[in-house]
Amino acid sequence: MGTIREVKSGKKSLKKDYVAIMMWFMGRAIQAAASVDRDVRKEFAELPDRFTFDLCVMPDGPHMIVGKDRKGYVRYMGWDTEGKRTNLRIKIKNLEAAILMFTFQESTALATARNRLVVDGEVPHACAAVRILDIVEVYLLPKIIAKLAVKRYPLWSPGRKYIGRVFVYLRTVLGL
Amino acid sequence: MFSPDRYEFFCPVKTNSGSRALEHLPFELDTMNATKPFVITSQKDARRGLVDVIIDAFKDSGVTIGIFDGAPAAPGMKLIKELFTMYRDGGYDSLIAVGGGAVVDTAKILNIAVSGAPEDIERYAGSDLITKPLKPLVLVPTLSGTGYESSRYACIDTLSFSSCFLMPHLVVIDPRMIVFEDVETTAAASLVTLTHAVEVYTGPEKNPLSDSYAYAAIRFVMENLVSVIRDPRDGKGRLALVNAHNAAGCAFSNSTPGMAHRLGKAVGDACQLSWGLCMGILLPHILERQTSEDGYHIPGLLLPLAGFDVYAETPEHMKVQKAIGILYDFQRDLFEASRGAIVRSLKDAEVPEEMLRDIARKAAGRSSTGFDADVSLMVLEQAWKGK
Amino acid sequence: MNLPGYYEFCCRVKIIAGHDALEKIPDALAYLRARTPMIVSDKGVAGAGLIDIVTSAIKDGVTIGAVADDVTPDSDLQVVHRLARLYREKRCDSLIAVGGGSVMDTAKGVNILISENADDLMKFSGANALKRALKPLIAIPTTAGTGSEVTLVAVVKDHERHLKMAFVSYFLLPDVSVLDSRMTLSLPPAITAATGMDALAHAVEAYTCLAKNPLSDAHALAAINLIGENLVRVTRDPGDKNGRLAMANAATLAGIAFSNSMVGMVHTLGHSAGSVCGVPHGVCMAILLPYGLEYNMHKNGHLTAELLFPLGGAQVYAATPEGERADKVIALVRRINEDLHEASGGRHPRFFREVVDREGKQMVPREKLPEIAKTALSDGSLFYNPEDLDYDDFLMVMETSWEGEPLERRKIKKG
Repeated sequence: MGTIREVKSGKKSLKKDYVAIMMWFMGRAIQAAASVDRDVRKEFAELPDRFTFDLCVMPDGPHMIVGKDRKGYVRYMGWDTEGKRTNLRIKIKNLEAAILMFTFQESTALATARNRLVVDGEVPHACAAVRILDIVEVYLLPKIIAKLAVKRYPLWSPGRKYIGRVFVYLRTVLGL
Repeated sequence: MFSPDRYEFFCPVKTNSGSRALEHLPFELDTMNATKPFVITSQKDARRGLVDVIIDAFKDSGVTIGIFDGAPAAPGMKLIKELFTMYRDGGYDSLIAVGGGAVVDTAKILNIAVSGAPEDIERYAGSDLITKPLKPLVLVPTLSGTGYESSRYACIDTLSFSSCFLMPHLVVIDPRMIVFEDVETTAAASLVTLTHAVEVYTGPEKNPLSDSYAYAAIRFVMENLVSVIRDPRDGKGRLALVNAHNAAGCAFSNSTPGMAHRLGKAVGDACQLSWGLCMGILLPHILERQTSEDGYHIPGLLLPLAGFDVYAETPEHMKVQKAIGILYDFQRDLFEASRGAIVRSLKDAEVPEEMLRDIARKAAGRSSTGFDADVSLMVLEQAWKGK
Repeated sequence: MNLPGYYEFCCRVKIIAGHDALEKIPDALAYLRARTPMIVSDKGVAGAGLIDIVTSAIKDGVTIGAVADDVTPDSDLQVVHRLARLYREKRCDSLIAVGGGSVMDTAKGVNILISENADDLMKFSGANALKRALKPLIAIPTTAGTGSEVTLVAVVKDHERHLKMAFVSYFLLPDVSVLDSRMTLSLPPAITAATGMDALAHAVEAYTCLAKNPLSDAHALAAINLIGENLVRVTRDPGDKNGRLAMANAATLAGIAFSNSMVGMVHTLGHSAGSVCGVPHGVCMAILLPYGLEYNMHKNGHLTAELLFPLGGAQVYAATPEGERADKVIALVRRINEDLHEASGGRHPRFFREVVDREGKQMVPREKLPEIAKTALSDGSLFYNPEDLDYDDFLMVMETSWEGEPLERRKIKKG
């Protein structure tokens, strides 16, 4: 007769680290894009003062926290949720779903359609957050990959796209 | 479109199907307020590495799972009682059945015990005697099913159960679990599925809701079974077949079993053949018979069998003939794709002709409605000869 | 049959349908181990005599604990609290919601308070905040359209604090939905038309947008077929009992389809036109549906083309060459709108400029279109639409649907 064995949940450290690094980079890129791109700036301007949002993986991270500071500047606020109040939380249901997103196998729209995301907060804010993420992805990624990540690849002037991309990358790397 | 004067329909099953479906399990368990699931599977599936996929899916979730991988092909009450003790002592709060057939029966019946007491099992044997929802039961099907996994039915020893509360709350169809089985097993479950779905779609209890599940099931089987039998590497086809098994189980749970189901079981039981094989042989012969009877809806069957284009091109008075012709063609295609393993007549299945009368009498005796022994015998004789 | 890379599907609601389905409620309640239901409804429903029909159908089998027929049009938090108090006072053990979307939402809100024994509804807002089954809830829709008898969402408004709370949980699904032809027999033609088009928009968007799946597809196809065969007919002949039941079935099938695969831009703009100008939801759906199909054509034209079969019937489908089927579907939807316009004595509007309120005043002045377009940017249904829309795109669709002109395909940005 068989017996039962109990298996404690293991870890997927490598995948978790990968997602954490991508989120760190994305967070700094959003901060950079907010000072380079007028559309990102406008999206943030229309969000409430001190608005903070958290993109995270269930059940316990990693997190990417981005928000407006006291003076209204957009800041990447790290991965530690301790002591931070967030207005909006976009939760990816599990690490594998996050991997699909951050390896650009599933766009935000597709992940939503496949019920892999949970939104805690107001829907209009989530819409704005997704638009911001889309723009930042267009800056960061070559067209062939960005086309998988966003629904409609935008028709930007070469100036906005290429010069903007240089600035977003510089600021992301330098943390400006 | 047919819209009946009255009907009822209920399907408690949630279906999650596709890539990384298993990784959603911790989230889904949480929505059902379950934190510590008890996984039941067979040695065969454990050996094939399917349990490892489950363990991997729970990584990073913080959820501890218990695994029992010794479910035999013919479980008995003794096993259920042992499992009950393990479940209770381990502090589990939900069940995950991985596989098909006996494993799922075991989980369904264990669920009666763990939701109350082991004595409940005998008490609830029969039809619609369970009166309240049971613990969360998740089904992770493989291709080794019988076609009954998502349904309201379960049996153990000589006891059989029928209740919508036995249906799984969640069915997780993950491509990693849908590995190829032998031709007979694959065909059997899919032919049970086809038969159930067709009988729901054409039967007297037809309604738009059970039709929706049946429609999806029939389309999936017609589009994929022959190609999966011909080429087992067709992963998308295998996934579609398991989707069909699930949908048909839901539809079938909402209607009285039809004649192909009953006669197919009777032949299978009498001759130790798989139910699916027998139902598959009988189905077109029975439909032919039913075209002349009241209360059946055969012309519309052409739509799920053949799709929009063929249905639209076929004149109204030709639809029945065309639908049944497609089912005979389907038998031929399966016969060829399986290199003769899936036979097309009861004679080729080595059913002794002299047993037919006895089978017909038994099947008619069991049936509560509809058909008598003479009709059954006529159909059996036709199916014995084959088309 | 299309099998997407990943999908989820669930509808745990028991459906009881028929010309005498109401009579089965006592048994359904007994099965749920309840015997003292509170009936929740609104003045319109009560005024049409529907509560009387329900009570006389069930009164021999159950004790009706209370009847609250004063739910306000947009499910108000105060009302939810008041009804929860009434429920407790009268020691009810279950709810029967008779009405449209706001009655269903209110009843779902009440059910959270009484089941969780809570005072603060806010605590349960958001996705999956509920963890266990609520009290038995039976839904009886009185229009054939919204599908809220089978959806897992409830929206309750806190008018004092200007908050809109959304609740999403499988536990919010009614236990039973009862579809009875008597509940819609007295619907006036214009409302029959608008609510029927609401159901059509649910089914069509479920089939053509991003979260489609084989089970929602099957429900959507059945719904579209029933609507194609019955909507214009019952609008012309309101007393057609079989047509009414068919439409009730269609609305439920469409509700099941869209609550599992969500909806796209027709709803995005429809919600906005509703909230900015107060246009009834069904009217927005009727007007916008052809535009949504036109706008997304380069992404999902092949799916739209397939809908010719259920909507137009087998003969029309066979007679139309493959390449023309999608356009034919759009033309058919416009044709249905024209027929409904005529069948309702001109009360069913075909474009936004035709929409008038009870006093005959235009509800959507042209200068409101930019505000509608702006509001649309904040609606979540856009996620499920095949093609993206920005402010200019929304405005373009609103302007053309205001005038009643078809969309100019070359103006649609394709990225």
